Amino acid sequence: MSALRTTLIGYVRYRGHQGHLAFLMHRVTGLGTLLFLTIHILDTATVYFFPNLYADAIAVYRTTLFGLAEMVLVFCVLYHGANGLRIAFFDWFPKYWTIEIERKWATRTLILAIILWLPAAIIMGRSLLIYNFHLFEG
Amino acid sequence: MTTESAQIETGVRKARITQSYDTIAWKWMRYSAVLLIPLVWIHVILQDVIIGVHQIDLSYVAYRWANLGWRVYDIFLVSFTFAHGMNGFRQVLNDYIHTVKARQAVALFLLIAWFVITLIGAAAIIGGVR
Repeated sequence: MSALRTTLIGYVRYRGHQGHLAFLMHRVTGLGTLLFLTIHILDTATVYFFPNLYADAIAVYRTTLFGLAEMVLVFCVLYHGANGLRIAFFDWFPKYWTIEIERKWATRTLILAIILWLPAAIIMGRSLLIYNFHLFEG
Repeated sequence: MTTESAQIETGVRKARITQSYDTIAWKWMRYSAVLLIPLVWIHVILQDVIIGVHQIDLSYVAYRWANLGWRVYDIFLVSFTFAHGMNGFRQVLNDYIHTVKARQAVALFLLIAWFVITLIGAAAIIGGVR
């Protein structure tokens, strides 16, 4: 356990720049997406195994907490995909994998993920406000 | 056991790589990632944007799965994403587990978990809505 503690403290203290942040974010977003996916496979499987539970599961997902978590999830999937493409590109064309190019593209990847996330966040946020906070109603 | 090799151009010299599970998994993560991006985003945009989360219920799932094409799509979706994710999980855990035996045990556990959960998902897609 103390090796793990040392590692995690090291992640925070390591003076890596964008590349280090990209590594950490890729890891965190990947794990978060996997956790969601596991639950999602099992909850969708209820349509066959326990059909009466499916409606209950969907009802939980419409709560405010899950609505907010869904917004975070969409960012996780977007960032993980964009950064993954960046990694795959550098792996396939290693001559472009210099420090300067990596830092530039790590920054651009994060910005791209945020830009792609904003319309989704607005749609989901609006849906939350309408259904969960009952705004915009007559 | 034959050792195959792949040549990688580094710009300075060529290196011969002996194939192993990890080299295959490494390549597979990149290829599946590229495939996953359209697979996942079509799914998300269809379900969350076009249909909308509040329209999702059992009859919608049955309606969609009445079409064989969507069931095939969903099987591809579940297999590739979950395998990609579990292998990634294995790689992350390998960074924090320091003995070979423990890594092998975790890898076996992940393989079993992957298999069981994928089986449950596939059974539901093939079985359909009850």
